[in-house]
Amino acid sequence: MKTFKHVNAKTTAEACTIMEKYKGQAKLIAGGMDLVGSLKDEIMPDYPQMVVNIKTIPGLDYVREDAGVLKIGALTKLSDIASSDVLKKRYQSLQQAAHAVASPQIRNMATIGGNLCQNVRCWYYRSPNSLGGRVFCLRKGGDTCYAQNGDNRYHAILKGGPCFAVYPSDTAVALTALKAKIVTARPRGGRTIPIGKLYTQTGTILESDEMVKGIEIPKPKEGAQEKFIKFRLRSALDFAIVSVATVLVKEGEVCKEATIALGGVAPVPLRATKAEELIKGKPVNQEIVERVALTALEDAEPLSMNAYKVEIAKTCIKRAFLT
Amino acid sequence: MEISMKDDSESNKKKGLSRRGFIQSVAAGGAALGLDWTLGKQTEARTVQKNTICITVNGRPYELGIGNQAGEVAESQTLVQTLRDVLGLTGTKTCCDRGECGSCTVLLDGKAVLSCSTLTVACDGKEVLTIEGLKDPVTGALHPVQQAFVEHDAIQCGMCTPGLVMSATALLKANQSPTEYEVREGISGNLCRCTGYVKYVEAVQTAAKRIRGGGNG
Repeated sequence: MKTFKHVNAKTTAEACTIMEKYKGQAKLIAGGMDLVGSLKDEIMPDYPQMVVNIKTIPGLDYVREDAGVLKIGALTKLSDIASSDVLKKRYQSLQQAAHAVASPQIRNMATIGGNLCQNVRCWYYRSPNSLGGRVFCLRKGGDTCYAQNGDNRYHAILKGGPCFAVYPSDTAVALTALKAKIVTARPRGGRTIPIGKLYTQTGTILESDEMVKGIEIPKPKEGAQEKFIKFRLRSALDFAIVSVATVLVKEGEVCKEATIALGGVAPVPLRATKAEELIKGKPVNQEIVERVALTALEDAEPLSMNAYKVEIAKTCIKRAFLT
Repeated sequence: MEISMKDDSESNKKKGLSRRGFIQSVAAGGAALGLDWTLGKQTEARTVQKNTICITVNGRPYELGIGNQAGEVAESQTLVQTLRDVLGLTGTKTCCDRGECGSCTVLLDGKAVLSCSTLTVACDGKEVLTIEGLKDPVTGALHPVQQAFVEHDAIQCGMCTPGLVMSATALLKANQSPTEYEVREGISGNLCRCTGYVKYVEAVQTAAKRIRGGGNG
């Protein structure tokens, strides 16, 4: 691929300072599972002059429970999250999500920070520069979303527009249902961002000199049941066509509270808040869950080729509550 | 190592050293001196300077100069490019070069990774195991996974095979008694367009049995 300078950062401060100095002409590399492919295909109009390796920053690879809060370092590999004993009883939806990503090799290299910051898989967005030139779509700063009136079979059915790509991260969906917070580092001081505020219709709110440092997840209530369902055509490697993560707290058969997060259906991981309100205080039975699924998808606006996702999403929600 | 120059017609015989002849003589010379033909240098472990990195491949350390001059490894060079084009270890394959097919799978510090998506410059101080490094260094006997693949007739064109062997080897290192599901999951990052995987899965289970029984795994 085209060459770039490469530097091993030793601290988050160093990484952020380099990012600030290069003003958007530098990219962070952790596992590189997204970045290397993007650079080979030159999908973005600008090619970075500098690639900052953050794998050399110590102390960002951990999974630990700390006074009722689960803390995960941004550089923790997905394979470690998928096999961590800390996540076997509680937070298993996150463990299942990490395990559902890609392939064993990719999970050995990919970090959770990178998984949460990855770019969309829309085939217009990802079109390589070598085949007639890259597609300068809306998400990259152009003025057209080619999927909207093009081949949109894998694109958004909810909250779509101006970009209609879906957010591809599985861990983001599980962490949304778990109400996680994202901790960042930045030269003028990092911040803690609730995951619901991290994503925008065309990316994240992270600034060009900001990096994810860690994730904090509050302890789910005692007895909470977590589910993560990823619907895809192949059992490995595929991104989600639809994914659902739920955290359900019951008293007997009655739902005390629930969170429902949807993936593969919108440009951001979506909380189905109306559906969450609906099931609160009601018995978790077939009839109620059918209404929950309908409510979660009632605002769906399918494009020309993706209406099938609506039914799949409803079914995944029902499975999450009833199986 | 025997090098022969094949030159079919009299009229094609050129005076002096052809380019092919030069490359072959360097390789022969390198082999004669006990060094593989490589743009890097074989070296014992010592303090690495700023613009060089040291990677150990199949048990041998290599010192590679980093930069854009001839003979140096560019910062954007991927590990598979270094293994194949610099170190001459062409067992590892580049099929998709996009992290989707697994043909480039090698073990990096014991873990199966995609060498097409790994920057060589980030492998300073690390150990790489490729398909060439699997056989018994003393007896030359194939690794149990390789042997089982041969016996089960699992291989067709062979392009996916090195990556599949490395993934299976990593799987059996972590789990000596995988179920069929676990085998399929363990090789799920390796695509094969020829076979349909059936014999590969059976072969991995055979290899697992042998490794459990005390074979070298």
